[in-house]
This record gives sequence, structure tokens and C-alpha cells, in this order.
Amino acid sequence: MAPSLLFNPAKLPPSEALQLAQQAPVVLQGSSSETVDQWATYENLLLACLRTGDDEAAAKCMDQLEARFGPDNERVMALRGLLSEAQAENNGELEAVLKQYDAILEGNSTNLPITKRRIALLRSMGRVSDAATALVQLLDFSPTDAEAWSELSDLYFTQGLYSQAIYALEEVLLLSPNAWNIHARLGEVQYMAATTSGSGGGSQQKYLAEALKRFARSIELCDDYLRGYYGLKLVTTRLLKEQAKQAKQTDDGEFTLPDPKTIERLDELATAKLSEIVRHSTLKDRGWRGYDEREVAAARELLSQNGIER
Amino acid sequence: MTWISNTITVFGGLLLAHACYSAQEHAALQSFRAAATSTLTSSTPVASSLPVDIAIETIVATLVIVLGLVLGTRPLRPIQWRVWAGKIEREGEEGFLGNNGEVEKDYMGNPFTYLESRPSFVDIRRQRKEFAEWIKNGGGDAGKK
Repeated sequence: MAPSLLFNPAKLPPSEALQLAQQAPVVLQGSSSETVDQWATYENLLLACLRTGDDEAAAKCMDQLEARFGPDNERVMALRGLLSEAQAENNGELEAVLKQYDAILEGNSTNLPITKRRIALLRSMGRVSDAATALVQLLDFSPTDAEAWSELSDLYFTQGLYSQAIYALEEVLLLSPNAWNIHARLGEVQYMAATTSGSGGGSQQKYLAEALKRFARSIELCDDYLRGYYGLKLVTTRLLKEQAKQAKQTDDGEFTLPDPKTIERLDELATAKLSEIVRHSTLKDRGWRGYDEREVAAARELLSQNGIER
Repeated sequence: MTWISNTITVFGGLLLAHACYSAQEHAALQSFRAAATSTLTSSTPVASSLPVDIAIETIVATLVIVLGLVLGTRPLRPIQWRVWAGKIEREGEEGFLGNNGEVEKDYMGNPFTYLESRPSFVDIRRQRKEFAEWIKNGGGDAGKK
């Protein structure tokens, strides 16, 4: 299905982004009367064009947006910054853009879009610790920004600081407790923390127990959630394996693993659900076509690793 | 299934039209009779009411039309969070088609994806680099069809 210009194109695969950017001439020559979706369309078209390197169309979108909302609009300022970031060719030009951001923020330090752009630019230039400091400052004065908490978590995660990443994700969940994908994400981070922590069986078990809960919650919030069942399957497989290895871990009361029977039943459930999803999406059954093909392929691989006949 | 509901609705419409026609004919007959009797004998015109069968036909026709329309509606949207979310994940855009076969205007997929794509923090330079590499690796041919 053709991608829609009404949604942010950041997550699209390259081929679909290209498809979007190729609509540029049509959209830019569109009717002069203003419609509801027009400016969202322009903004997303701008992003798609920048990504595919069509700077000319991007500049046209930018001019239209600026003509409509004025160059002092905070969102337009951020987009303008994005444009110059994309066109900067060397580090010196990037520094210049950064200085520009600083100058804007000196005038108005509550300009959120520019603050976020500055953080993203710092991160893109490899100055991760500066980005983290700026992000923490931003969260100090705007602690209800779920997107910023999520970015902070990702920043820590890429640095391997799992406990901080988990903390930031928990903050995201406080702000949007129904976000099933964030529950699954938290479960994934906890699972990765458990696999890398190596020494100290206690903390490893704790992470696994938490991850189990998170995946279960994501499934509770969303029927047939492939990502949630995938994670659940990973965690239960690992827990069952470890129980076979070391018969009894001392319970220190801080966390409680569900008893082995429950884990086994969860494992069976996840296996059944995963194979159902894989079967239906392989056959392209009606009503099962929403899943990402790569995710389905990963699930199939996981099932075949565990030697389950489909 | 749509043809069943359509036939029922059309049938109900025919019934209703028939009832209306009968009522109109009845009224015309009554006024003609009244005019005829009043010229012959100067008695007061008889109070005329609609025959019961016409009234019943009207009511039945209305019910049949309602039945046809109700059968013809699309399934209602889920009102439970997990069912709704599951529908988004499982069916994607296909689960949210309007009556005209296009995706409904207010469909937006998972409303929380922005927490993972984080559009305000987009790293446009990396995206450009990745896209250029994708083109270099021959991905552009697939996209140009």
C-alpha cells in the first residue's frame, strides 16, 4: 500500500521514502486553496525530500511553510535548522549551525523545537555526553516530555548504560502508560541487560523477571502483538533453560519469579500464538496482513531454532 | 452480504411506496364520495380514517427498511483498548477502510510510534547517508518501477 504523506516518514524503508519524495512536484503544484492536511503534508514532504537528497524540492517546501507561518514560528525555525544541517558539508558548517542554535536559544531559552534540534545535532556530531547533559537539562524544565525521555533512554542505551536507559523508559511509561510498544521496548532493554550483565546471577534474574512482566503487559494491552509474544518467548525459553541448569536460586524477596509451571504455560502460549501469526501471515490471510514482513521472518526463525514444527 | 441488505432495503422501500399510494387513493376516493353524497343529500360528511391494513403496511415497511440498513452497516469499531490495538497490529490499514474503500481519515496506526521514531530528534545526516548507500547498492532500481 502506498505510504501516506500525512504521517512522519522517519520509520519508512528507503523505497517508500523515495516514493513519497517523488510526489513532490505534484504536491507543490497543488491547488492554492488551503486544506486541513496541507501543512502536515508539506512538513512530511520536506522530511522525505531531505532524506532522499532532493534539496531543491525541500527548499520549495520550506519557503511555502515560511511564507505561511513566518520565520519566527518555532517549528519553522527547527525545520530551517534541519535544512541547513542536511546541507552542511563539513564539520565547520555544522559548528556554524550549532552556533546559530545557541544564538536562538540565548534569545529564547524555552524554544523547545530548537532545543531538541540542538541535542540531535550534538548527538549526530558524536558529542554524546554533551547531548546527554543538554537532554537532562531539557527534562529538568520540561519533565512531561515523553519523546525526550525516550530519546534519553536511547542515548543511554547506545552507550551500554542499561539501568539508566531502563529508568528513562519507565518515565516514558509513567507519561503514556498505554503505549504497548514502549512496554515491549522496555522488556527488550531489560532482556538485553540480563544477557550482558553476565556476573551476578541475582541482578540477571531480576531483569528477566521484570522483562517477563513487561512483555506480558504489552500483550495485555494489544491482542496478537507479535513483538510482545516474540519477547515473551525469548524470556521464557531462557528462564526455563536456567532453571534446568541451577536448580534453585535463593529468593531474596526483592523480586519474585513466577513458579516454573506458570512460565511453562506462558512459553506454550507464546509458541502457539507465534506459530499462529506466522502461519496466517505467510498465507497472507485476510485480516492478518498488518505485520512487518521482517518481524514475521524473525519469528519464523525463532520458532525453527526451537525445533517446532509448523 | 451486501446484496441481502440491499434487497431487504429495496423491498421495504417498495412496501412503503405501496402504502403511501394506497393511502393517497383512499383519501381521493373518500373526498369523491363525500362530494357525491353532499350534492345528493345535504348531510354532514362521514369522518373517514385510514384502513388498518394500510397503517400496518406502513409500519412493517419502516421496520423492514431499518432492518435492511442495519444489516448493511460496516462492523462497529472495537471499544476495548486491547482489541483495537490488536486490530492495528494485525490488520494494519486494511482493518480501517471506510465505506468508500479508502483508509479512514482518522486512522493513524499505532499512536505511540512517535515515541520510538522521535521526529523532533531526527538525525537527518545519518538518514541521508543511509539512503545514499541504499541507492548505491542498487536499491534505487527496485524503487523506480
